[in-house]
Amino acid sequence: MTKYEATIGIEVHVEVKSKSKFFSQAENRYGKSANSSCTVVDLGYPGTLPTVNSEVIQQGIRAAHLLHCSITKKMHFDRKNYFYPDNPKNYQITQNRTPIGTNGYVEIELNSVKKPIYIEEIHLEEDTCKSAHKGRFSLLDFNRAGVPLIEIVSKPCMHTQEEAVLYLEKLRETLFYGDISDCKIEEGSMRCDANVSIAKEGSNHLGTKCEIKNIGSIRNVGIAIQKEIERQTALLEKGETFQEQTRRFDDKLGDTVLMRVKETGNDYRYFPEPDIPFVILTEEQIKKAIETLPMGSDERRKLYLERGIHPKNVEKLLSNRTLSDYLNTYQDSDLDFVIASNLLLGDISSYLNRNFMELNDTKLTKEKFSDLISKISKGELSNQNAKDILEDVLEKELSVDEIMKERNIQNITDSSFVEKLISKVIMENEESVSDYHQGKDRAIKYLMGQVMKEAKGSINPKVANEKLIEMLNRK
Amino acid sequence: MEKLSVEEVKHIAHLARIAVTEEEIEKYRVSLAKLFEMIDQIHLIEGYNDDMMFSPCEEEAILRKDEIGDMLKEDEVLLNAPHKNGKFIEVPVMLNE
Repeated sequence: MTKYEATIGIEVHVEVKSKSKFFSQAENRYGKSANSSCTVVDLGYPGTLPTVNSEVIQQGIRAAHLLHCSITKKMHFDRKNYFYPDNPKNYQITQNRTPIGTNGYVEIELNSVKKPIYIEEIHLEEDTCKSAHKGRFSLLDFNRAGVPLIEIVSKPCMHTQEEAVLYLEKLRETLFYGDISDCKIEEGSMRCDANVSIAKEGSNHLGTKCEIKNIGSIRNVGIAIQKEIERQTALLEKGETFQEQTRRFDDKLGDTVLMRVKETGNDYRYFPEPDIPFVILTEEQIKKAIETLPMGSDERRKLYLERGIHPKNVEKLLSNRTLSDYLNTYQDSDLDFVIASNLLLGDISSYLNRNFMELNDTKLTKEKFSDLISKISKGELSNQNAKDILEDVLEKELSVDEIMKERNIQNITDSSFVEKLISKVIMENEESVSDYHQGKDRAIKYLMGQVMKEAKGSINPKVANEKLIEMLNRK
Repeated sequence: MEKLSVEEVKHIAHLARIAVTEEEIEKYRVSLAKLFEMIDQIHLIEGYNDDMMFSPCEEEAILRKDEIGDMLKEDEVLLNAPHKNGKFIEVPVMLNE
């Protein structure tokens, strides 16, 4: 049977974080009332002129840097011409000939093998207005018109849906932690189109390309690509040919459906945007953009692994930016990151979720958290006790010491307290003590269980175990 | 000068969303060809380079500070729209998406 190989290229658009839009001073914010965030520039009124937002250029430099692209120092913009109601100027300002970044890559890891996914180019452009279809009409909201976008075009270098999904996840993580974009697919601040073609394995040329547009989640990109590979393979196996076409992913069907067959290539008649002179990037400007990048996802990953956090928890932390940022405020201290991350991801997260709260809404101060972690780390507070007092720590304006006092929690390293407990257990369990002296291993486990039961989990098991053996051997 | 083909004129008319009659097509086959010839002459200018086409002035772009400025009021946005629906501008449904 003939073997086929898929070739996949992906185009991603992300909305860039900035206060104002790319070419006008209208606010760049999602979720505002329709048509409440526009200027005459965004509406494409005749005679209006675009002005370039410096922050968008800086964001472009940052993105190019994070995606390992060469940065184009002399850029201009181009008009991409087309007639469509989502863009009343009849052109979109984009970068056709001088994209801000070229020849980059991101690295993915599949089955423990690292692989670079190459990026052809990234360019800056403006978004169009948002349209919603209602019967025979379309409703237009210009809040999105002129919102800055970065388009990232990969090389056709992926061959499976797993690679495509990992590429998108890595891209999202990188741009999200770089503060370039929110990358929320559900809000449209990250949009993915995939180009898929199938050819006989080892063939020198690519098969007929199908573009799948506007897929609503990274998971669905994987499904859409898989379905498209299956569809095209089935056609080729039947000896059928098909035309280049645009398809879309239907959520409900879980499959791609035909949108249109491309009879001719797009003819956008790009030409240089005459209203914007060249944008020249200085070394100083590039340096400043890169220096102001927050700690990236890879750096965070490295830091957490170095501080001993389990790889699984490292990934959990990275999927929760607030917790990761919080933990990072302690990066210069000797705080035990393992205990801190366990607590943040475990009990603290469930408390916050249960109460629909953010960390900022609690009474947890920096000092208090560090004191709590330090007490657990030194064995002065057992895990059980920490769990018990956590709500008070988060809700009360008291120090950890004050809460422990209030809850009558002993300092568990207080040896006289521990000794008293152990003495009691030894007195009450003569048989097990005698078993221990006769070398029966199970006796120590039983006795230890009794000690912990007596202490109601309020003592450090390690300390107690050592003390128990010491006291048994004294006899 | 070589005339444009009928297909070329039709294609350009389609891109510009202009309906053209058979007579007009014949007219444009000549006049557009003349126009393209004139455009080609630009390349003959002494010292011509691509940068001249990209930007008409030698100055570089002055970048704007990222600040929110005055915006239109919602009713002002809708003022010149032939049709509206609530807060939206309404147009015939767009199929060729």
